[in-house]
Amino acid sequence: MLKGFGNFLVKELKELVRDPKILLGMIILPLIMFPVLGGIMNYSIQSAQEQAQKATLLVLNNDGGNWSEIFINNLTSFVRVFVFNNTTPEQAVTQNLLAEYNATQFIEIPPGFSENVTKRMQGDFSLKASVKFYGVFSGSGMFESIGSSIIDDLVGQFNRVMAPDVVYAEKSAIIKGEIVEGVDPSMLSGLMLSQAIAMPITIMILLSYSMQIAATSVAMEKEEKTLETLLTLPMDRFAILIGKLSGSILVAGIGALAYMVGFNYWMGSFMARIPAGITLDLTSLGLVPSLFGYLLLGISLFVTLLSALALAVIISAFAEDVRSAQSIIGYIYPLIFIPSLALMYLDVNSLPLALRIVIYAIPYSHPIIASKAVIMGDYWTAVLGIVYVAAFTLLVMYAASRLFATEKILTAKLKFKGLRRRGKTPVEELQ
Amino acid sequence: MILDIVVEAVDLTKDFGKIRALNRLNIKVRSREIFGLIGPNGAGKTTALRVISTLLLPTSGSVKVFGLDAVRDAPEVRKIVAYLPEEAGTYRNLSGWEYLQFMARFNSKDKDEVNEMVKEAAEITGLGERLKDKTKTYSKGMKRRLLVARALMNKPKLAILDEPTSGLDVLHAYHVREIIKRYVQEHGVTVLLSSHNMLEVEHLCDRVALLNKGKIVAEGKPQELKEKFESANLEEVFARVVGLA
Repeated sequence: MLKGFGNFLVKELKELVRDPKILLGMIILPLIMFPVLGGIMNYSIQSAQEQAQKATLLVLNNDGGNWSEIFINNLTSFVRVFVFNNTTPEQAVTQNLLAEYNATQFIEIPPGFSENVTKRMQGDFSLKASVKFYGVFSGSGMFESIGSSIIDDLVGQFNRVMAPDVVYAEKSAIIKGEIVEGVDPSMLSGLMLSQAIAMPITIMILLSYSMQIAATSVAMEKEEKTLETLLTLPMDRFAILIGKLSGSILVAGIGALAYMVGFNYWMGSFMARIPAGITLDLTSLGLVPSLFGYLLLGISLFVTLLSALALAVIISAFAEDVRSAQSIIGYIYPLIFIPSLALMYLDVNSLPLALRIVIYAIPYSHPIIASKAVIMGDYWTAVLGIVYVAAFTLLVMYAASRLFATEKILTAKLKFKGLRRRGKTPVEELQ
Repeated sequence: MILDIVVEAVDLTKDFGKIRALNRLNIKVRSREIFGLIGPNGAGKTTALRVISTLLLPTSGSVKVFGLDAVRDAPEVRKIVAYLPEEAGTYRNLSGWEYLQFMARFNSKDKDEVNEMVKEAAEITGLGERLKDKTKTYSKGMKRRLLVARALMNKPKLAILDEPTSGLDVLHAYHVREIIKRYVQEHGVTVLLSSHNMLEVEHLCDRVALLNKGKIVAEGKPQELKEKFESANLEEVFARVVGLA
């Protein structure tokens, strides 16, 4: 039965395990990447919870009755509270009270609150006392809705102590400095989730896919022994580089388009399950990028793609064949995956300084950061990201053009000292 | 009669790290001749051809091709030289015809000239209708004929052919040798080729240089070398020169 299987399997394992590229790419990298990702996720959940617990809540007390005092006292046992009397929500926004008190949410206790609570307590169950919750929506990530749920907890806590369902919270969002009545920030976060997930995933797939194409394309020239001929032709060597990049961009672009269409359809199937009656038009809320925003996003994506491809071309020039090129490109993936996955859940500005610097330093983070920024009308963040990635791209392109201009494109090989036991040296092959 | 010097290498040295692949190599290739670099594997033949064809930079020494410096004037040299690497391949998903068109367009922008070159190359290959097929379906011999045709189709002033008949069967090798001879005679192409098949070189080349460990150990017409070293063929000459016989 299966004669020779054992012998063959041993040979296969030796071949695979002794290949340092496989060892690094398949075993060591995941061992590093996933703990790093896990650490970021843990941190983000923990910091979101801590922030919510330490949250500052502004209370606009426009009732002035006993029950409003009791309600405020109840709040102060859980969160830091600043009370303002006779201040309307509009005044709170225009007077910039939220920024002044470093808060992202406030509650208005409207006139008649105490009266309604009293009547309800006396048995008039047709009445309910409401508080109005206003939360700032910044499109920062999946944990943005925690503030809104904390309010639900606080109101629930009050009702448990006093009477069932005596108080309920009406929620509204503050979007780009404007109050949008009746829009629950947490529901908005849910609706924006598709964008928050789609963009990083699309960028992740686009970058990794196009890098594979570029690397394969260069390595294929080496593997099929066509590069040597190409380099002796009367053509500009920079044209080879630009040709490789352009071809990869076109193919990857078509791939990304197909992916985005498929992904939107997939996400659409989830969106279709949002309960009927919830109608939020993101366009009217100003939560879709403007034409200028789209332009910035396009430029950001293009320069990032270009830098990734140029890097892939350089790296793959050190590979002997397609398989090696793809393995080597695998080392770049953590730089794409970690920011993509982390920024799905996190607002980069909520990270500690060191981590923030790391995320900003990775060029592949910037289209994701830009995609969030342009939705919120923060064009400067997108522009600065473009400038940074463009500078990085120029540097990489310069290195790539230098590589193509010299014999290194032909002779360069990545060496794994000590790990590589056998095989020809580059010199033996060249002679 | 004054003979034009097409290739002149002076004290050509090429190091790869600590290994010296070419050691003060001196050769002169004359116009309209077939010059053969012969020697065993690892002698430095391919390195020499790569330096002359501008692929590699010399560590020291100089190479001139039609008076142009192979380092300083590399783009100009590439316009007059066609190089066929030993293990050259083709683009798998292009047909033979498309491959020839792709290559011809580097030599001319004129559509008629390109068509002329491709027709010429198609004739050299002898592949007929198979040129319409993707090159991934070709045998090694068919690919090699396509590549030789590519190297000669624009009638370069200098054709550098690294082991042009490498891996070919007797019939294919004969076909390729005949093409090379015809191009030299009919179109005045100068050919610099390498081979470790010394018998083949003896019949094909006007002059040969025997290369061993990066150095020229003997040079001349095959007949002269045989007489000088009292040998029946170039293999024996080589064995005597390197002290094996």
